[in-house]
Amino acid sequence: MGKKKKSSAETETVLTEEDAAVIDLAEEPKVSSDLVKTLSKICKRKTVLGYIIRDASTATIDLKEPEKLVDYAMLTSQALESGQELSQLLAVGELKSTVIEGRDIKAVCMIIGESKISVFMKKSVDHADLLNSITQ
Amino acid sequence: MSNEVYAFALDNALKEVKSVCPDLANTFIFDENYFTVAKDPDTPQEAINKAIDEFHLVKEKAEAIGGLETVTVQGSEGQVKISRINNFYLATAFSKEADEKFIGTLYGVLIPTVIKLVDQLQPDVPNDETPMTADPEPTQELIEQTYHEEAFEETQQFTLENVEPENVESESVETEYAEAEHEALEQPSFEEAAIIEEPTTEEQVEPIEDEQANASEDFEENGPVLPEPPVTQVIVESIGGLLIKSDTVRIDNSVISRWNDLYGDKTIQEVYLEALDGKTTRCKFKPIKDSKYEGKGVIQMPEKIQAALETSKGELVMVKPVVE
Repeated sequence: MGKKKKSSAETETVLTEEDAAVIDLAEEPKVSSDLVKTLSKICKRKTVLGYIIRDASTATIDLKEPEKLVDYAMLTSQALESGQELSQLLAVGELKSTVIEGRDIKAVCMIIGESKISVFMKKSVDHADLLNSITQ
Repeated sequence: MSNEVYAFALDNALKEVKSVCPDLANTFIFDENYFTVAKDPDTPQEAINKAIDEFHLVKEKAEAIGGLETVTVQGSEGQVKISRINNFYLATAFSKEADEKFIGTLYGVLIPTVIKLVDQLQPDVPNDETPMTADPEPTQELIEQTYHEEAFEETQQFTLENVEPENVESESVETEYAEAEHEALEQPSFEEAAIIEEPTTEEQVEPIEDEQANASEDFEENGPVLPEPPVTQVIVESIGGLLIKSDTVRIDNSVISRWNDLYGDKTIQEVYLEALDGKTTRCKFKPIKDSKYEGKGVIQMPEKIQAALETSKGELVMVKPVVE
């Protein structure tokens, strides 16, 4: 879908590079290769717009519209943070996932182990099905 | 329509839903300005405020997905869902045993229905909580309405002047005819149409905003309470002539439109006038026709009322609406 880049630079710096569709910042990637494979497979669907996987020191990004990378990254980071707050405030237990829906697009954000995963898709997609395939 | 009306209806709707859905832990509704409109009694306001703040933080960054419409937080023991319904946001928290589809369907039908019902009961009052200020950009529809009103009155005066110039009673005929015409055309009153006129000065807006803030606090503490009538200070200008009613003053359109906005469906037909020395009187009012006095903070007052107030041209008087 896009070219790959490797860099030892700070995550924030690299995120502003709009031409990077897939970025792996880690010297030794911590993100599970199975997870990346699964997401890459999901991403082949026309209705899925891409994904971002982050952990403490790495970020793997695959977006069909790489120019939206910064906006998507900020949005999903906030969505996960607010999701954690909301789950505590309204006592629904430990956060499993946060789904944010806009007019045309929705994003599914979740934490698996140390990885924060965000998948972007068209609003019509059944995200429950997609969630299952990621968590399996 | 003010949020107080929605609050009453939606509060009851939330209570009813909760009574049939025991798995429903928390529900509340807030508006686009992030004010809580309704909530179930078991949800603390502090938690609601924090939850709204979190939603706001996400919404601020959601332009990339075309604005934020729904947030669903799946927890290990339940789910939080905040979704947009008309101009409001409904937040629900329920346990994982709850029937999500049932709750979704119930709210998806009930809340819009309640909102629509309230809208239908009082359709002509705007739905917002924003401070009442003059509308700086009139809509084409309102411009046309005002044009019809002005044109009609001018035609009417012309006819009366030519047929019965010395008959003072013609004034009441003019008014009655005008009112009948208004009803036939189903147009808003002159006072409502007057909302398009020039914005008023800041000195006049501020007291209204204060009144609104007080009214909002009163509602939270004591339920719906009409705000105190706003007092506006204006300069007396004389008005006279055969077709000028001796018991009617003419007031700036923007002042009248703010009263209408503030009191919604309440009738305002008269005003209290108070001179600086304390003399008071009550009389009818109409909007100022002469555009050169628009937005100048003046009141056009016949000699008779000036005499009653012991005031004269150039002096200050206080004016406030009589709300019935």
